[in-house]
Amino acid sequence: MTSKTVFITQEGPANALALNKDNSQVVIAGRNVFKIFALLEDRFEEVCNLRVGKNLNLNFSCNDVAWNLTDDHILATAATNGAVVVWNLNRPSRSKQEHVFVDHKRTVNKVSFHMTEPMWLISGSQDGTMKCFDLRTKEATKTFYSNTESVRDVQFSPHQQHTFAAVSENGHVQQWDLRRPDRYFQHFTAHSGPIFACDWHPEATWLATASRDKTIKVWDLTAKPSCDYTIHTIASVGRIKWRPQRKYHIASCALVVDCSINVWDIRRPYIPFASFNEHKDVPTGVAWRGDPQSFLSTSRDCNLYHHVFKDATRPASKANPQGIALNAKGDIAYACKVNVNAPTSSVRKQLIYPRKMPTSNDTFYMAFSMMHRFTVTTPQEPKWFKACAEGYLLSGKLNEICDHNAVVASKAGRNDISTVWSITKTLYTDSLGNILTTPPTVSKEDAVNTLNLSQMAIGPNAEQTNTGHENDVKSLQGEAPGVISGGDDETETDETPENHHFIGPIPSGYRRSFSGSKRQPKGDFFFGEGELEPMTMEYTNAYMHNIINNDNDWTLPKEAFPLRHEIQDRSPPPEQFPNHSPDINDDTGAITVEDQPCQLIVTAIPKPVFWDPTHLIEEALRHHAAIRDIQTSVSILIALGDRRKILNIEMATQEHWLLEYIDMLGRFQLWEVATQIIQLAWMPSVSQLNQQSTTIHACCSTCTKPLQRSAWLCDRCHTSRHALCSICHQVVRGIYVWCQGCTHGGHVTHISEWFNSNRQCPTGCGHLCEYT
Amino acid sequence: MFEAHSINAEHKDLIHDIAYDFYGQRMATCSSDQFVKVWDEDEHGNWHLTASWKVHSGSVWKVTWAHPEFGQVLATCSFDRTAAVWEEIVGEGSGPGERGMRHWVRRTNLVDSRTSVTDVKFAPKTLGLLLATCSADGVIRIYEAPDVMNLSQWTLQHDISCKLPCSCLTWNPSLSRLHPPMLAVGSDDSNTSNGGKVFIYEYSENSRRWTKTETLSNVVDPVHDIAFAPNLGRSFHTLAIATKDVRIITLKPVQDSAQSGLSRFEITTAKFEDHYCTVWRVCWNIMGTILASSGDDGCVRLWKDNYINNWKCVAVLKGDGTSAQSTETPLTTTPPNHPTGVQQPLSTTRNVTIATVTAEKPTAPIMSTSKWQAPVTKGRFSKSVWLGNPAEPSPLPPPILDRPKSKK
Repeated sequence: MTSKTVFITQEGPANALALNKDNSQVVIAGRNVFKIFALLEDRFEEVCNLRVGKNLNLNFSCNDVAWNLTDDHILATAATNGAVVVWNLNRPSRSKQEHVFVDHKRTVNKVSFHMTEPMWLISGSQDGTMKCFDLRTKEATKTFYSNTESVRDVQFSPHQQHTFAAVSENGHVQQWDLRRPDRYFQHFTAHSGPIFACDWHPEATWLATASRDKTIKVWDLTAKPSCDYTIHTIASVGRIKWRPQRKYHIASCALVVDCSINVWDIRRPYIPFASFNEHKDVPTGVAWRGDPQSFLSTSRDCNLYHHVFKDATRPASKANPQGIALNAKGDIAYACKVNVNAPTSSVRKQLIYPRKMPTSNDTFYMAFSMMHRFTVTTPQEPKWFKACAEGYLLSGKLNEICDHNAVVASKAGRNDISTVWSITKTLYTDSLGNILTTPPTVSKEDAVNTLNLSQMAIGPNAEQTNTGHENDVKSLQGEAPGVISGGDDETETDETPENHHFIGPIPSGYRRSFSGSKRQPKGDFFFGEGELEPMTMEYTNAYMHNIINNDNDWTLPKEAFPLRHEIQDRSPPPEQFPNHSPDINDDTGAITVEDQPCQLIVTAIPKPVFWDPTHLIEEALRHHAAIRDIQTSVSILIALGDRRKILNIEMATQEHWLLEYIDMLGRFQLWEVATQIIQLAWMPSVSQLNQQSTTIHACCSTCTKPLQRSAWLCDRCHTSRHALCSICHQVVRGIYVWCQGCTHGGHVTHISEWFNSNRQCPTGCGHLCEYT
Repeated sequence: MFEAHSINAEHKDLIHDIAYDFYGQRMATCSSDQFVKVWDEDEHGNWHLTASWKVHSGSVWKVTWAHPEFGQVLATCSFDRTAAVWEEIVGEGSGPGERGMRHWVRRTNLVDSRTSVTDVKFAPKTLGLLLATCSADGVIRIYEAPDVMNLSQWTLQHDISCKLPCSCLTWNPSLSRLHPPMLAVGSDDSNTSNGGKVFIYEYSENSRRWTKTETLSNVVDPVHDIAFAPNLGRSFHTLAIATKDVRIITLKPVQDSAQSGLSRFEITTAKFEDHYCTVWRVCWNIMGTILASSGDDGCVRLWKDNYINNWKCVAVLKGDGTSAQSTETPLTTTPPNHPTGVQQPLSTTRNVTIATVTAEKPTAPIMSTSKWQAPVTKGRFSKSVWLGNPAEPSPLPPPILDRPKSKK
């Protein structure tokens, strides 16, 4: 039984257990159980049931049991009725009861044999006394009065023959000399609550005490008692036992709550070194089997367990040794366990960790953490987020907003976002504003993009975004990761034909719109690289003409404009566009434009490419939300004003975006921006955010009593003087305005009329009031 | 890119958790020494210890801040089987020095657990003042303070048993009404045969119950930490998991099971073994763009994704503060033809991929070409990892995309 955790269940709970001197047998004793078991290799075997006889009186009901350390056949029990009973296993009769001492007046808590003198037995009782019995004379030779209400534990010192320690319910520890029963020779207060147990260290001059105050304290008693270690446990401690051959280890079990038996390293008093969780109820006794690897325990769950150390759980190994946190600025706080053993080869050490337990045992108590803060020297994200949040215009004319915001974004280093704003501008301000009245003219570049559109419109959504992404990635490859990719796109964007010689905003509007969804690089790729498969283009007749006649000039001839009615009539509704395109392709011929680096197959179609940016914007917004750039999505959404109504984005999603953005602004403490957004919000759930739990308290100006029922009548002075208008001298019952300088005020209309022509306060107080 | 500053926390035992408050201007640390310490940042960016007190009678595993609209509130959980809620109050006493003094008071002690409480987290503020705890015996408890002004009254709303010992939990931070309240819980059970160690729970408004809607069956090793990324308006959820490696999992709600009222997810897993040892913590930045992970190698690795959700390690910070590395300063150079059998502690490129799809039809892993990334060959080690269910037939190798290199 040295290597296995085994248990045996009894009919009743045992209060205590004791091992014989060679640790081969164990006795367990309780109110209804009193048995001896032999410890076999893989099980317990009952050797003797001591609870036999005709008269099973209270003498059989045990609080504690002790096995003589020299004579293997002598046992002693502390009975609940105040008796101390001695048992002789060598008695020939069935009953092994040898002698009953009935000296104590109340229940006996503890019995203990002397280490070297087999005839000496000491007891501690609830009556506040300790008695020393001589088994030869069968009488209580000495009585020690503790002057406390009850003695919970007594233990002979292993170091000094005549010394024993006693602990009591009032938190005191006493040291007595057996030869001087009149008075203890040492006395101190160890705990703030009752002490339930004590245990002498087998080698050091330490006495450990366990208390209801949830602590275990280790006292050095060589000179003046000093508390060397304190262990904070999670519950009242009922029993403690030093672990043999391990100087700093002590086992403890709780009196309540905690069913586990913990073994502590007193140098690391916060977390058990090992924990045994087999019991289902609180353990009542612990006894080491002489070696540090195994011990026995009894519990209120009626089980007797044999525990082996290798089956213990190690709470510290499950404990998370690291902490990490990131804040809004991007700072990282990091705490990690310092590797005491091998600070240089940490990786290697970790690999051998599970196998090499001794290493962890040796360093167990040396656990401590280091904490570091890593600050970002050049914070990127928070900076542009703040700059954009504060700089963005959100209401007004869309094109102004877009222009302004594009500048803000590019100043913040967000060139890609800046482009998005410009695109938005051209998409909406021009397309919706002008396009309906001008022909949907397209330059060649636009044609390329038109193609993209058609592809996009036809293909399933997911695929489309993927291709978009791939292009992004392509352009990104070779860049250091972590750099915001948009920057790259932007530089290319600037080279694109938009800057060349367009006639009007319309074509560029088109061009940009496409790249808007594609995030620019697509167009660039198709163009600059010429490595993509042939492209099909949908084109108006007029434009075909244009291109063919006027290869090198991509500007639109003015003559194109008169065509608009015709074109407009034929322009299909945007939604139908995807459906139409196959037909369109069918009846049109393909033309290859030779002078392009890429092979362009231009299909001439009779229908104009009038097209609605809605779903493109929608895509863009969703895309930015997906890449966690909620700022852009929300800002554009707000800037769009009523145009957002035609976007096919569910209200719930829009609300979601707004809430997330507001939350993010909160983190950066950009309250003003957040408030602005709340005010601009078009859904009640968001716009009412600021109206919740906002109360203004007002007081009467004469008696300073808070105005409770109404703002214009004071409950104490029963007047409305404080609410009179300075001009008409009537009580103001609606909105009251006042100057914070002189506190005078009145009806909004009256005051504003007055200040149209005057600067001083209407009351004549001489104050130059300032209203904003 | 990063500057390391050492902070002498003076905790007497291991520090188990660090938490920044909502604004990132306060920091709380907790330790086995049963203390929590609160640090405040001054206007010069220096951090000062402003409070330190004993919070439990056992190791304090986690500390977390409530949303500031509920006040300055902390929650802690401990080996002593309790979780506690603390509030900082400004003294109103008349004695000298008392007025204006701040101190922390315990508002409640949640004692329902019978084993160590391993994690505690406040719900997103839209759900009210809600607190979730999980414990070593596998019970998740959700408490609510019905009156947000009274932090001493908490009622146990739900008690969810998840069979395996729980080690960590995280709320889905989404503020959208489209997403039902969601929790992910990780277990540190070390028996890999017990199946998935990460569970997703969702609250159904109709049945008013929390139900397990998903078990991530490809995470079978003990899970030490778990964190949902800030949502920021996305329709899908991103979950980081610290187990023997770092995993980043995206959960895309699939609406085909609308009738049952429970959404199932399309799950994509990415796995990174750069730590080459147990990973203890994962943490997102507030934008959800950077993931920090830390492991037994004593390093913090920062991960960032590009536009196709391909995550890469962008920086390695050493925990001892001796060196802070980032990709700007190149990591260890590796010979191009490095034998693959040898593990390298540092690698920059790590590729990712796909995985099983809905729980309903787990048989055919969906392969979408775009998700297999052709390894980026820059003279560094790279490989693709398949993360499907081991029981399934192994998938086809990644298609070789005939993709010409861009001009750069």
